[in-house]
Amino acid sequence: MLRRVTAILIVVALTGWPKSEAAGSPARSSETPSAEQGAAAEPLVIVVNRSNPIDDLSMAELRRIFLGSRSHWANGRRITLVMRDPGEPERKTILRDVCGMNEDQLKNHFIHGLFTGEILLSPKILSTPAGVRKFIFNVPGAIGYLRASDLDNSIKVVRIDELLPDDRGYKLRVQSQAGN
Amino acid sequence: MTKRLKFAFNRRQPYLVPFLDRFLAAASRHNATVLLFLVCCGVTVIGAIVISDLKAANSEAQKAYSGSVHGLQQIGELQYETQETRRATLYALTTSDSNLQVEYADQSRNADQRVKDGIAEYGSQAKRPEESELACRLARDWNNYLGVRDEVLASILEGSTKEAVSLDLSGGVPAFERVRQDLNEVKRLYGEDAARSQANLVASARRSTWRLVGMHSFTLLISGAAVWAIERSRMLSAIQLAKLQMEFVASVSHELRTPLAVLSSAADNIADGLVVGKSALRKYGAILQHQSRSMGQLVDEILLFASTEDGTSNYKLQPLQVSTIIESIVIETEGLVSRAGFALDLQIDPNLPPVLVDVSGVSQCLYNLISNAVKYGGDNRRIALRAFTAPSGQGSGKDVRISVVDRGIGIDSSEIHRIFDPFYRSPRVNVAQIHGTGLGLSLAKRIAESMGGKISVLSELSVGSTFTLHLQIAKGEDAQTAEAPPRSAASPHS
Repeated sequence: MLRRVTAILIVVALTGWPKSEAAGSPARSSETPSAEQGAAAEPLVIVVNRSNPIDDLSMAELRRIFLGSRSHWANGRRITLVMRDPGEPERKTILRDVCGMNEDQLKNHFIHGLFTGEILLSPKILSTPAGVRKFIFNVPGAIGYLRASDLDNSIKVVRIDELLPDDRGYKLRVQSQAGN
Repeated sequence: MTKRLKFAFNRRQPYLVPFLDRFLAAASRHNATVLLFLVCCGVTVIGAIVISDLKAANSEAQKAYSGSVHGLQQIGELQYETQETRRATLYALTTSDSNLQVEYADQSRNADQRVKDGIAEYGSQAKRPEESELACRLARDWNNYLGVRDEVLASILEGSTKEAVSLDLSGGVPAFERVRQDLNEVKRLYGEDAARSQANLVASARRSTWRLVGMHSFTLLISGAAVWAIERSRMLSAIQLAKLQMEFVASVSHELRTPLAVLSSAADNIADGLVVGKSALRKYGAILQHQSRSMGQLVDEILLFASTEDGTSNYKLQPLQVSTIIESIVIETEGLVSRAGFALDLQIDPNLPPVLVDVSGVSQCLYNLISNAVKYGGDNRRIALRAFTAPSGQGSGKDVRISVVDRGIGIDSSEIHRIFDPFYRSPRVNVAQIHGTGLGLSLAKRIAESMGGKISVLSELSVGSTFTLHLQIAKGEDAQTAEAPPRSAASPHS
């Protein structure tokens, strides 16, 4: 019990949910995606380690992964979730389009999950796109997200619902004004 | 065998020694500095060889030194970078901040890339199969360690610290230990290489030392030989001079003895009362007068030579007409020429400029040349005396030349360079019993040079000789010419 409480406190400390966003701002999942998918929206790409055999994920699977419900890959590797700092547009996009939650809801979800043992590992928080890239490069079971412009060959892009970021109908797109 | 060698030596010696003596005599004539010059050349060549040898040794030492430094640096860098790879990996354990952990992972990967580059460089520089094999083994062991390192890093980044430590202890430490042993092996091989280079350097230094000793000894040897040769040439010169002086003394004694004998017998006849009558007394008086004058002239010549021995000029130069000189010398030598049954042909160019001479010196000089022509004029009893101007050979100037030409026995070309040496007398004239002191030409040459002129000679054996006195032209139109005194006053002003 004590270990679980400690783990939750660590998660809170590491994720550092900002008070301003925790102040009951509503999740924007109710907003229509088409309203944000303007011509200036940049695709948000889901990336994994190059040694990971996975190539394609459904949006539902992605949601389970990002909510910690799925803890291992098919090859038995533990899934390590990589997130950006709270408040970053990319994180907001994932919260809105994948998790369907706001920061408070996500925080509560992980605290609850870690407390009950349903979630084994809290997400790793990286400050920069380069940090995300390097982390995923070093950890075979890591999964994270990056803007398409931050991609390089050290990591692998995963199709979502069989769509690549450049494909028509790709849902994950990040806008600089997202969530604000 | 020994007898044969001795015989051969004895046979060769009579040829070798005179040859050496002739060579040294020639060297001493032209100056002993020739030998010194040869020694200097030899020493310079040897010095150049020694310097070249030292430079080569120095280059070898520098090469060995730079090789040592580079090798040590390479090994040091490899060791440092392997440690850095491991250190950065383990540092990632010390923090739970993913950003810092990624940074440490990055550092570790950069360091491991430098290690890979270092191993590749070592492999490319490997000279021996042993080294190539070691480079391959090191690369393999390093890759094995990197495999474990990647697992450890992944565990650390995942947050599984315990798993990371366990992996490192079970796989990382042994793998890294193998790498460390490989590096020690590299160090050992490098040490062997360095020891070999050092041994080569020591051997090279020893060779250089022996070469230096050898060359130094050789230099000493040739220097000693040169000193010996110079001393021997000096000794030969001294012997030659002494011999010439002895010959001179003998010659002078002979020259004095003839008139003395005549004087003595004439005096005896007069004392014994054998000379009776006025005419007989007059005849004896003339004989005594002539012989005593001959003796006086000989003594004068010797004294004159002795006075010019130091080479300093005591002559008073003044402008003089050539015709005056010619007239004077014709009168002076008239008796000498006619007594010997010779005829003197004068060929004097008109309008010759006055010359700058010492009156008594030029008379003495020409007297000696005419006297020589009479002595060695042979059966064709004609002597030509020519005076003319010719280019002096120095710039555009001219000089006046007075030539004494005879059709006598001539001079051998091998002797012509020696005829102006004091006391020198040709063996041919000695054989022909032509009397003389060997001072006449030497004296004439000295006098000519003292007056700023010179004497040249052209001669052909059995055809005749032409001795030419070169005289400076007096400058200045208002130069007053002096009268030529009789030759009896010919002596340097002192």
